[in-house]
Amino acid sequence: MTIENLPNVAYLVAAVLFIRSLGGLSNQETARRGNLFGIIGMIIAMAATTIDPRVRSVVESAGFGAAYNVMIGAVVIGFAIGAFLAVRVVMTAMPQLVALLHSFVGLAAVLVGVSTWLAHPNAGAVHQIEVWLGVAIGAITFTGSIIAWGKLRGSLSGRPLILPARHLLNATITGAIVFMAVPFMSGVEGLDVANITSSTSFYLLIGMSLLAGLLGIHLVMSIGGADMPVVVSLLNSYSGWAAAATGFMLENDLLIIIGALVGSSGAILSFIMCKAMNRSIWNVVFGGFGANAGKQPAPSGDGPTGTVTETDVAGLTELALNARSIFIIPGYGMAVARAQHLVREMATMLRDNGAKVSYVIHPVAGRLPGHMNVLLAEAGVPYDTVFEMDEVNEDCPDTDLVIVIGANDIVNPGAETDESSPIYGMPVIQAWKAGTVVVLKRSLGAGYAGVGNPLFYNDNTEMLFGDARETIQGVVASLRG
Amino acid sequence: MKIGIPTETQSGERRVAATPATVKKLIKMGFEVSIQAGAGAQAQYLDGNYAEAGATIVPDGASIWKDSELVLKVNAPGLLEDGIHEADLLRENGHIISLLFPAQNEELVARLGKRGVTALALDQIPRISRAQKMDVLSSMANIAGYRAIVEASNLYGGFFAGQMTAAGKTRPAQVLVIGAGVAGLAAIAAARGLGAEVRAFDVRPAVKDQVESLGAKFLELKFEEDGGGETAGGYAKTMSPEFIAAEMALFADQAKEVDIIVTTALIPGRKAPVLITKEMVDTMKPGSVVVDLAAIQGGNCGYTEADKVVVASGVNIIGYTDLTSRLPTHASQFFGTNIVNLLSDMVGEEGYAIDLEDEVIRKSLVLHNGEKIWPPPPDPVVEKPAAKPTAEIVAPTSKEEPKGISKLASAVGMMVAVAAMVGVGLYAEAAFVQHLTVFILACFVGWQVVWNVTPALHTPLMSVTNAISGIIVVGGMLQAAAPTLSTSVWLGALAILVASINIAGGFLVTQRMLQMFRKEAN
Repeated sequence: MTIENLPNVAYLVAAVLFIRSLGGLSNQETARRGNLFGIIGMIIAMAATTIDPRVRSVVESAGFGAAYNVMIGAVVIGFAIGAFLAVRVVMTAMPQLVALLHSFVGLAAVLVGVSTWLAHPNAGAVHQIEVWLGVAIGAITFTGSIIAWGKLRGSLSGRPLILPARHLLNATITGAIVFMAVPFMSGVEGLDVANITSSTSFYLLIGMSLLAGLLGIHLVMSIGGADMPVVVSLLNSYSGWAAAATGFMLENDLLIIIGALVGSSGAILSFIMCKAMNRSIWNVVFGGFGANAGKQPAPSGDGPTGTVTETDVAGLTELALNARSIFIIPGYGMAVARAQHLVREMATMLRDNGAKVSYVIHPVAGRLPGHMNVLLAEAGVPYDTVFEMDEVNEDCPDTDLVIVIGANDIVNPGAETDESSPIYGMPVIQAWKAGTVVVLKRSLGAGYAGVGNPLFYNDNTEMLFGDARETIQGVVASLRG
Repeated sequence: MKIGIPTETQSGERRVAATPATVKKLIKMGFEVSIQAGAGAQAQYLDGNYAEAGATIVPDGASIWKDSELVLKVNAPGLLEDGIHEADLLRENGHIISLLFPAQNEELVARLGKRGVTALALDQIPRISRAQKMDVLSSMANIAGYRAIVEASNLYGGFFAGQMTAAGKTRPAQVLVIGAGVAGLAAIAAARGLGAEVRAFDVRPAVKDQVESLGAKFLELKFEEDGGGETAGGYAKTMSPEFIAAEMALFADQAKEVDIIVTTALIPGRKAPVLITKEMVDTMKPGSVVVDLAAIQGGNCGYTEADKVVVASGVNIIGYTDLTSRLPTHASQFFGTNIVNLLSDMVGEEGYAIDLEDEVIRKSLVLHNGEKIWPPPPDPVVEKPAAKPTAEIVAPTSKEEPKGISKLASAVGMMVAVAAMVGVGLYAEAAFVQHLTVFILACFVGWQVVWNVTPALHTPLMSVTNAISGIIVVGGMLQAAAPTLSTSVWLGALAILVASINIAGGFLVTQRMLQMFRKEAN
């Protein structure tokens, strides 16, 4: 009997569990089991690593403590911090947390890359490239995610930063990263870690990390706030590729498999998000959308005009009481106002009143793929009353009342009819086909795309200005009577 | 400014120009409101309610007319029983807002003009979208259409909805609505609401969608007519003789099949066209009902007599002209709200004022300080109603070109991939090739697995992949295990730390989220 192969078999089991985990998330019934599979997989993988041949050789040569002290200490501290973050986070702050966690993967990839190189500074050209790639992707993911985190928290402006020669800047940095790899490929004979500052390769690696970090910052800075769902899922993908590159570097199949799984998962999410906005991934990443530098419609110019019919809490209550079928379309504004609990309460009361109440979610509503679903779930909304846009869009004409809560571009009829609109061709929820549309909004301002919304001026649209939370609170209070 | 609301004096009129709710809004705008005692009684609004809303209750009509600077009314001023004309009661230079129909009431307009009156005709408010909230014709037409069905069901001897009972079954009533304007659509909705099967006809093919959206069948003529059958004002225009012949043939066929006919064909300022002739009525089933909403202008049915129910060949022909007044509570509410909306547009910073630059005011103002300024000059450019949004979505044609480019790009990409593969095959070590195999297969597995994820779970998916990508902890662990505490070990330790945050944070937060998703418990 030998335990030589045990880690590899364990890795295989872990890999299968991770695949099952992602598969389990495909629907609500199996999702929790999926998460459990992931946890078990992770435990097996980490346990298997403790008996990896490399670790065992350290145990044999330098004893138990040298092998495990640092390892276990770091894991315990990390778990504690992670658990703290996870328990404390409020659901509206989920996008920030996800972005922050992505940055950690990126950082870990950079650290592992540098650390590996320091330990094996001359393991052949292929290995050198693997280190190079792992560090580069890791650094982009790290800084990009930090910027995304800042934007999502609101500590950085959501407006895209449009530098004059931004494409040239991106190309130059990418070119520099590639060219610097050539001298690095040759490796270093007998690297003196104590006297590391005398090594050119060291400077190359550090310089490249900084450049890649700069690229990550610039890429995300130039993307507008409304495109954040795409950015977050792209970074999700990057973090996967960073893990895969690390796997190549360490010749560890488990890392490669997981990296590839996560990488393609993030890529699919980005793809779905882009399709929901009718834009190509290149347009999102390099387009600087959300500002359209100078192309923004002048406030009084070619924007839609007409009369806006205003209503108040009493008006909405009356409409809602008389409607037999109601669609609620939440947007980022609901998240900002933290109104989801009140919305659920209102919906429950209306349902008791005999109305059929459904929630309709646009794929890019919010700042994270599926953001609205999570918020509604948090508020205790049963998921079988929550529908995707495509499931119910054709029912809009049969709906008596649509309540739009803090959403704008996703219900803009201009996307279907106005060819000059920047969002022309983007699939939208056809709220305007319903009997009456009540839009809860703070002002008549344009959405993130900077496009005016003709819906607000429709005859069957009534605007209810003010804070969504207070408005819904008012409705709930008057429904109670 | 003092507003006065007298009791309506036209016989059979039950509406009132203000309700307690609209009085409240008028007072909020800065008006003083007096109302004649009992003005709202027939519409179920009691004096007490008005007083509560802040209005002064005045016992006699004469003093309302005399003391008010602005009189709000439903109907045009008319002759009272005692031989006094309301127009003469209005104070000199006073203002009045009501229905006026200046084209039909030239004498009344002259009478008011002599007294220096400023008169705004609610029936002349232009049909533009800005003015829709003050358009009494639309709000009243809606009520008339609804009430038409109520009146019909009253005289019709059967169920509207089909019945399936132990005592036998009945077909749903067959209803034909001619003219799908506001009144026609309201009639369709009401008839559908009672369970009838409804078909509708209109010369404007553009309204087909609206008719169908209410669940009625749209009858079509196989006939081409220019201009969409619509005038600039949104009304149906008069059609060519050939068209009318085809139309009449259709109605003759329909008359034999249906139980209820509602006609709403009115052409502004003209006698209503006769669409259901006496012969057609004679072929209808006994017990059928015709409701003629055009009775006030002669009627769309040959037998129609205004304000009467005529029975001919066993068919009831209803010619009521006071259908809106037969639903006085809500009719008054809508009427009053229309007036409030109009006034709130007129009230500027300096209070109530007549702004002749305002299109709505200019077009509906008949008398300005006694001077007749109606009809207003025509618009310099007649708007084409072609601006109606067509629902058709034209597929963007510009897509063609990028397709060629993307084909080229994918071909180039393929070649690069093949070249890279050949390069790897020739030069790379066996171990690398093996890892590459694993990598590419894993990419495909990931692609397949994730495609099935429901969009609602995208956030949990993201946080679980986040946790899973914390597997990079393995790399850190391998680096952290070393005989001596080198820089490499510390870097590895830091990697472990951040990756562990990820693992714990990712899995726990996913767990939290998934626990929130629940199915409806029933």
